[in-house]
Amino acid sequence: MKAKDLMVPLQEYLKPGTTLKEAANILRTAKRGEEKVGVKGLPVLDETGKMVGFLSIGDILKAVFPSYMSLMNLGDFTWDGMVEDMAKKAGNKKVSEMMTQKVISVTEDASLMECVDHMLKSNVKRLPVLAKEGKVAGILYERDVFFEITKAMLDENTGGGK
Amino acid sequence: MTHEAAAAAPFVMDTAFWTATTIFLLAYAVIVSEKIHKTIIAIFGAGLMLVLKILEQHEAFHVEEFGIDWNVIFLLISMMVIINLMRPTGVFEYIAIKSAKWGKGDPFRILVIFAIVTAVLSALLDNVTTVLLIVPVTILIADALEVDPLPYLISCVLASNIGGTATLIGDPPNIMIASKAQLDFMDFIYHLAPVVVVIMVFYVFAIKLIWGKKLKTKEELKKRIMAMNENEAIKDPLMLKKSLFVLALVLTGFVFHGVLHFQPATVALFGAGLLLLLSKTHEPHHVLAEVEWPTIFFFMGLFIIVGGVVKVGLIKWMSLQILDLTQGNLFATSMVVMWFSAFASAFIDNIPYVATMNPLIVDMAKQLWPNLSGVQLLHHPDLMPLWWSLALGACLGGNGTAIGASANVIVVGMSEKLGKRISFGKFMLYGMPLMIMTVIISTIYVWLRYYVLKI
Repeated sequence: MKAKDLMVPLQEYLKPGTTLKEAANILRTAKRGEEKVGVKGLPVLDETGKMVGFLSIGDILKAVFPSYMSLMNLGDFTWDGMVEDMAKKAGNKKVSEMMTQKVISVTEDASLMECVDHMLKSNVKRLPVLAKEGKVAGILYERDVFFEITKAMLDENTGGGK
Repeated sequence: MTHEAAAAAPFVMDTAFWTATTIFLLAYAVIVSEKIHKTIIAIFGAGLMLVLKILEQHEAFHVEEFGIDWNVIFLLISMMVIINLMRPTGVFEYIAIKSAKWGKGDPFRILVIFAIVTAVLSALLDNVTTVLLIVPVTILIADALEVDPLPYLISCVLASNIGGTATLIGDPPNIMIASKAQLDFMDFIYHLAPVVVVIMVFYVFAIKLIWGKKLKTKEELKKRIMAMNENEAIKDPLMLKKSLFVLALVLTGFVFHGVLHFQPATVALFGAGLLLLLSKTHEPHHVLAEVEWPTIFFFMGLFIIVGGVVKVGLIKWMSLQILDLTQGNLFATSMVVMWFSAFASAFIDNIPYVATMNPLIVDMAKQLWPNLSGVQLLHHPDLMPLWWSLALGACLGGNGTAIGASANVIVVGMSEKLGKRISFGKFMLYGMPLMIMTVIISTIYVWLRYYVLKI
């Protein structure tokens, strides 16, 4: 089993110049596979199709989280409506400002263990899978790796494969 | 040749002189240009001084006159360790929230209280630590009150540089001066704290003039502040008690270190060791990793670079020039030192500046009183105002520009992340006039106390 066998082919992506407001809407309505709607992250591609970053829900949370809050333990001293106020201000930020720029990705032929290695060591739940020419072919989800693992666990005869 | 002989011998402008001078000037130029990180330059420059045999390794590591001042290094490291252990207890969040509530949610009252709290904390901790512990809370409060955070950012950082001037441990220049001049904690309290209190009074009036009328908020927003419960900040009450015990012990140790004949670093190192032991941590590497090693290595590198130019005689040559300029008039010299230090520290890092000025003043003293040595020389009554002028100029000068002190750089960095960048010009607009005001007050103080009243 390789990355390309398990990935969900790329359908939607974001552009660096898109505002967070629009990006959040795309994340909410993007299709994941055939029937499910809503994704927790999408790659950011420039006009040539090259991946320049990845925007996930975590990045959107960071957009409303003031930088000074990370310097001290101030969570106890926040108030009702603070997130909503910050969200209004953050809506017009560009995707390029908030996206993760160093994206952990794998090639199509990467082994499943390599994918697990990245997911555990870099703590990512979604891995962009790159085709030969460097274009994003699809996304490999932690959940699909989990299903693959369960399949192998439950298969008494072989302990793996189909 | 022993170092005593080297200090007494007339210097010659030989190859070693020009090599050391070139390394020194180039290193300082690159540090000012900020093209390469200052710590890297300091380490590389120190390495050059050793490789080119300007200094022997033994001199750099073990000779007080030319080498690393371990008293400064261990005082800094130990205080950092103590603060790193205290931080997670939540005590600093507690102090900051308590202060805001004390201001009853009034934006200007809070501004003043924060300035005073910052000044007091800066006198006891280093300035960078203080602004890192206070400024995030001030921005949160400004957000809660829906007022511009800039007055809070600027007034806190200026107050931290003022407060730091008051004590031996408040600001790196004072730590360095204390070690070089063998001055103790109470000397600083006795000579600098009074003028700092006066300066703070003027400073509060100044910020009232600048921001007093601009800061307004709605009544309902004040309730956000009053609803905060500062007791929730305390995450580890037991560790807090231990930390406060050790801090009290260390401060008592500082007060009496002169009488007990302990160096400040001894007191701080003992405190750091004791608190590490009491904390029962099994992972000291976390606490130790958080020590600002780049700053520590910056100091070590600079001490060696300056040691090189002391050895070849550049510093002695500079001291002769100054004495020539002021005709040996020590009042004029101390005024030149104060004002030159203020403007120099406004534009260059005051740490390398003081590292250079310290041996320069010692050399000057040697010219003036060739028969004296040791404490008799360093504490000559006519020399004392010079040390205080250097301390006041170098510490207060840090307020002049956005790059004048490390705390300023940190706060400007924070403002950038907030999307409210404080430009170099904007900082100077507030910092420079306030710096000049504080140096004028210091000038009057030094003149009145040491040359008119002579106390």
